[in-house]
Amino acid sequence: MMGKPTDLLQGTLDLLVLKTLALEPMHGWGITLRIQQITGDVLQVRPGALYPALHRLEHQGWITARWGETSAGRRAKYYSLTRAGRLQLGRESEQWRRLSSAVTALLDTV
Amino acid sequence: MRWTSKLRLRVLSLFRSGQVERELDEELQYHLERLIDDHVAAGLSPSEARYRALREMGGIDQRKEECRDARGLALVDSLRQDLTYARRALRKSPGFSAVAILSLAIGIGANTTIFTFVNAVLLRPLPYPESDRLVVLQEHALDSGEPLNAHPANFVEWRARARSFEALALVQTPPLNVMGSNGAEQIGRMLTTSELFRVFKVSPVLGRGFTEEETRPGSNQVVILGYGFWQRWFGGDAGVLGRQLAVPEGSLTVVGVAPPGFRIGLTEPDTFTPLTIDPANPGSTGSRAFQCYGRLASGVSLDAASAEMTAIASALRHEDPRLNKGMGVFVSGLHESLVREARPGLRLLMAVAAIVLAIACVNLAGLLMARGVGRRSEFAVRSALGAGRGRLVRQLVIESLVLSFCGGAAGIAVAFWATQALVALNAGALTAGIAEPIGLDTRCVIFTLVVSTATALVFGLVPARQASRVDPQAALREQTRGATADRRHHRVRKILVVAEVALAVVLLVGAGLLLRTLSSLVRVDLGFQPAGTLTMGLFLGLRSPETRSVVIDQILDRVEAVPGVRAAGTIQFLPLRGMTCGTGFWLEDQASSQDPSRTQPTECALVSRGYFAAMGIPVLAGRPFDRRDRMSGPRVVVVSQSFAKRYFPDGRVPGRRILVQSSNQALAEIIGVVGDVRHDGLTSDPAPTVFLLHAQTPGYITNLVVRTSGDPLTHATAVRRAIHEVEPSQAVAGMGTIEQDVMKVLARPRLQAALVTCFAVIAVVLAVIGVYGLIAYVVKLRTHEIGIRLALGATRERIFFELFRQGALLVFAGLVVGVAAAIALREMASTFVFGVTTADPLTYLVAALTFSGVALAAVIIPAHRASRVQPISALRVE
Repeated sequence: MMGKPTDLLQGTLDLLVLKTLALEPMHGWGITLRIQQITGDVLQVRPGALYPALHRLEHQGWITARWGETSAGRRAKYYSLTRAGRLQLGRESEQWRRLSSAVTALLDTV
Repeated sequence: MRWTSKLRLRVLSLFRSGQVERELDEELQYHLERLIDDHVAAGLSPSEARYRALREMGGIDQRKEECRDARGLALVDSLRQDLTYARRALRKSPGFSAVAILSLAIGIGANTTIFTFVNAVLLRPLPYPESDRLVVLQEHALDSGEPLNAHPANFVEWRARARSFEALALVQTPPLNVMGSNGAEQIGRMLTTSELFRVFKVSPVLGRGFTEEETRPGSNQVVILGYGFWQRWFGGDAGVLGRQLAVPEGSLTVVGVAPPGFRIGLTEPDTFTPLTIDPANPGSTGSRAFQCYGRLASGVSLDAASAEMTAIASALRHEDPRLNKGMGVFVSGLHESLVREARPGLRLLMAVAAIVLAIACVNLAGLLMARGVGRRSEFAVRSALGAGRGRLVRQLVIESLVLSFCGGAAGIAVAFWATQALVALNAGALTAGIAEPIGLDTRCVIFTLVVSTATALVFGLVPARQASRVDPQAALREQTRGATADRRHHRVRKILVVAEVALAVVLLVGAGLLLRTLSSLVRVDLGFQPAGTLTMGLFLGLRSPETRSVVIDQILDRVEAVPGVRAAGTIQFLPLRGMTCGTGFWLEDQASSQDPSRTQPTECALVSRGYFAAMGIPVLAGRPFDRRDRMSGPRVVVVSQSFAKRYFPDGRVPGRRILVQSSNQALAEIIGVVGDVRHDGLTSDPAPTVFLLHAQTPGYITNLVVRTSGDPLTHATAVRRAIHEVEPSQAVAGMGTIEQDVMKVLARPRLQAALVTCFAVIAVVLAVIGVYGLIAYVVKLRTHEIGIRLALGATRERIFFELFRQGALLVFAGLVVGVAAAIALREMASTFVFGVTTADPLTYLVAALTFSGVALAAVIIPAHRASRVQPISALRVE
């Protein structure tokens, strides 16, 4: 887990969640697994950070939620990206790329 | 699109919070189960897996809390929390809450009650379409400005020339005699021209209004029934049109029925008959004794209409100087003219009620401040735990709001009861010309809500700010003595107490002035003797003048013979009923020319023989009218003392002659001088009056006045029988006594004095409670210190005097401020006082002494208690 889950990672967490949901609708557990998988275990999202983030994103209208059935037959809440969310994802990705290249540039100067 | 679903989400969270909570539960539960499964799959035992999973989840409730926070409804949730805290805090101190709610109920209730009247009288529009376009046209003497009635000849000119009005109607309300099953009955009637319904924009329930032709002389006798009379007399018969209404002179054909409740002013007319105006000779209809109502044309303002009428009046002054010398025309709104009389009284009561509420608020603020000190540790803890100052203030304000709304709700109940009580007692005194029912309506409830909220903010904010100013360290260490905040708090409370004492003193002075006014009014010499006189109305109807004169003569003869009757006479308009008549006259040396510019105005009254004796009016010179004075004999008049003094200053009045206008043009000899009579009211100066003899100038309307020995009403039946022996078909109406008329005139000052005194008493009680509360609080705070001083040798008297002095200083300061304020505001009271000056020293002195007495007694109690402190128990740590 990189540093404290609040502060730095809140903004990035939103970005990660939005990106994950851009591929397909998922429930909270699925998002946790997917992020873990894709980043090769570097980023592990605690439920304590994830669920508040999901509720916040839902309230801001970037994602919507729907109750559904898992393959195992249990009830779970599935989240999916809205159109506005997709736009937001684009904006935040752009911001991240700019930020990270700036930091990289700074670190590379000796 | 997006924000509507966002909004829906938020609203859902707010109202279905239970469901949202359950879903959150389920969601986290699912995540937990998957975590457990994961761990089990990795090889842990189920219980170990569960243990680890729970640890990884962290505290579930904290997660939920975070989610809830993320839902962005923190404000609403915390408000709900505050409400719960408030309820809890108030329930914990039931004594305080009860006192607070009670004083708020009284304060707010009083204001709502008065507002109910203000609403019904001043704010509610008249029940006609576009009633703000309705106006009254009144003539007035240019130099005096007092509104008079309208003359039919002028009305005809106004109707022809004025462009500002959609319609104008001329109206008068002499009674009507009708033939009922028990003989003649006198009922109400409105004489009106044809435009009446058009002016008020109402349509008759049946039939039609009068046509133009019906208001010309010689047309058929028609009548329109009032709705209530139609129900009562004709049983609400739907086929009433065309039926006949029997009157002594024949019958009238019913051509219409007015809408229910239709009236101008106080009484609903039973019938309407056409007001006949001869276009060739409009002056023949009558004199300046009619009322003119109109509706402004669309787009015309009141001012524009006024300007036009002023110009028309000026033209009429030139064209007909005999009639219109020195006369102008007023145009005023109908609603305005009906409520003009009631407005000052209602304003006074609103101001007084507001002051009482202000005092209650000040008391509450003091109480809350004291409570705030006691809760310091509670706030210190909350502040240390992260509550911002704003949050603490908000919670305290919400507590005040809860108190205030409970007080407001109780206040509405108080107002409901009080309004009914006032209406039963005498609403007429407060409502003047408005007869609509008075009750609490939506506007009054809204008013109560607004007042409750404002009240809460007024008494809640200062204590809230004071209490939230906490220094957590100091509070937690229980260093509650000697802090600067304490001193400031104390100073604020002292200022509050001085303020409420001052307000109470102002009210007390006001009540005193009104009580003295009332006693002056009761002692006014009216010029006649109200006790022991019976009155009744005799409408003589359309008989010839000779017949009218003879009938009255015979009636007087018969009535005088009734045992118990000491004197009897008639007068056209009884005093104190608001009706006077005025005319002009010439002194003998100017009589021959009859030059209009030389007429003098005078009040006149049409009386019969025996009137002065019946009313107890003293004859000061010469003789009153008697049987010698007949229609065939020389014209005679009697004048009042002020008339004699003004026009015949040399003194020898009987035997002089004057010529009164429109009294068939013969010089009349003044045969006597009588004492002045206050005809218009208790506070008016008696006007010079000429008394004309009914036998010589008979009128239609007359009132019989009978002086009896003993209780007048016991003779009523005998008198009525005597009248019917003379004229079986004579209707007799409105039996009453002059004393009742005097009571009615006293009703408003009496009610005002009673209400203001009542409020003043409440105010004094509240203020004294405030003083007591402060001193008692000081004693409680300093019990420890007092104990030490007593133990160290201070005398009990010393302690007592010190505390007494503190209280006395406060009371004295409040008295000074209050008296100064009362003096500064005395102009406002001038409309209400009579017989005293607004700066009457006696009243102020009595008020100050009364208040000091009560307040100092209230100071003595806690001061005495302080001197009784036992040093040992005081030194014991609480």
